[in-house]
Amino acid sequence: MARIRWATFALLAGVALLLAILDSVGNVDAAFAFLRNPLAAVLDWTAARTDALAAALAGPRDLQAARQQIEQLQTQIDALERENEELREIQGDYQQLLDLFNRAREEPAFRRLTASVIGRDTSPVFRSIIIDRGSEDGVLVGMPVESARGLVGQVYRTTAHAAQVLLITDNISSVPARLGTSRATGIVRGGGLGGSLVMEWISLESQIAPGEVVLTSGLGGKFPQDLVIGRVAEVERQEAELFQQAVVQPAVEFESLEVVFVITDFRAVDTTIFDQPPGE
Amino acid sequence: MSHSLLITHHYPVRTSLYVAVPLMMVLSIAQAVVMPRLRVLGMTPQLLLLATIAWSLLRGINEGMVWAFVAGLAMDLFSAAPLGITSLALLGGVLAIGLLQRAFPRSRFFLTAVLAALATLIYLLLYILLLLLFGYPVSGPAAASLPPLALLHGLLILPVYWLLSRIVE
Repeated sequence: MARIRWATFALLAGVALLLAILDSVGNVDAAFAFLRNPLAAVLDWTAARTDALAAALAGPRDLQAARQQIEQLQTQIDALERENEELREIQGDYQQLLDLFNRAREEPAFRRLTASVIGRDTSPVFRSIIIDRGSEDGVLVGMPVESARGLVGQVYRTTAHAAQVLLITDNISSVPARLGTSRATGIVRGGGLGGSLVMEWISLESQIAPGEVVLTSGLGGKFPQDLVIGRVAEVERQEAELFQQAVVQPAVEFESLEVVFVITDFRAVDTTIFDQPPGE
Repeated sequence: MSHSLLITHHYPVRTSLYVAVPLMMVLSIAQAVVMPRLRVLGMTPQLLLLATIAWSLLRGINEGMVWAFVAGLAMDLFSAAPLGITSLALLGGVLAIGLLQRAFPRSRFFLTAVLAALATLIYLLLYILLLLLFGYPVSGPAAASLPPLALLHGLLILPVYWLLSRIVE
């Protein structure tokens, strides 16, 4: 049996430790950009091919399945035709709302950048995604990211044409939040792989109930206000504790994310009032 | 020290590096893009870890250490983890293989599966400890969900080991 070369082990472990320390306290991102940039391009290319292959494999596998699908679709068409009649009546109301929306759009609350998800974290512990927009597209570290269904996370690291987005379900994620009905505030923390999303630091005085919508509070200025995070699934209230907490069911299906929006600009909650001591 | 001895000591490791670097880059891309779609029993197998364990079993711990270092860096390129953490944890896992190989009886398939499961467990334990040491919290439920990955790797190592052994031959 081969003798273990302890010198090699010590050298490799030493270099790895040094890199870990440098990455934690300083920044070795720039030094490794020469690797990350071309690899991100390969990742983008591979993701597009994988998507196409997955779509092809997910299609009808045989003629029998296709016939069943046709029957189901015919039933759906009948139902949709009835629904269409009802929708015509609603069209009038819609036109009025559209006018209001167009007026609001002239001064948008956020600026968004559409990005495709091209990869996921290789670590078994971290929960992050890789998107195909980077610093050259205007994406900066700390920018919030949402999907059509709600808040996804925050940009954690960028390369020229890609960025890593830490999901709100990750262990190190925390988002200032408030509840839709009771207006109680707290912090939504991720539980990582297998862990739930939990809203902590909710006052015991607040009466909260399962089903309440959880939104971003905008406090701290890192996230805009009123982005949907999820719904309260369970309330954990112990009288001996100073605060109660709630298990949150996220609005976003993180496993099937394909397209996200990076919020590049938003109006942060004005907290300058708290900068001045009272009485001044 | 004779010249031939020098060659046996240094040449394989360098050759191993030439194989490990491109292979690990390809595997890290597959890990980031393809593996999240191919979940097995709700878990995502760690391709780079499996390849490193299999190579360590086939070619010995000294080559395994080089593969562990390269695999760790390749994984951290697409991860929110600090660069180098995975290399450190993988080095620990490979070292455990080297030490455990001496304690276990020689039985090709049984030993391969057991060592892969144990190396995965040690890697995960070290990884979590290092993350905590570097200030990254890991919740209890998140840590508790990881050990089943060791059992999965115990099974998946067999085809990976077989495949790599064909390449080596």
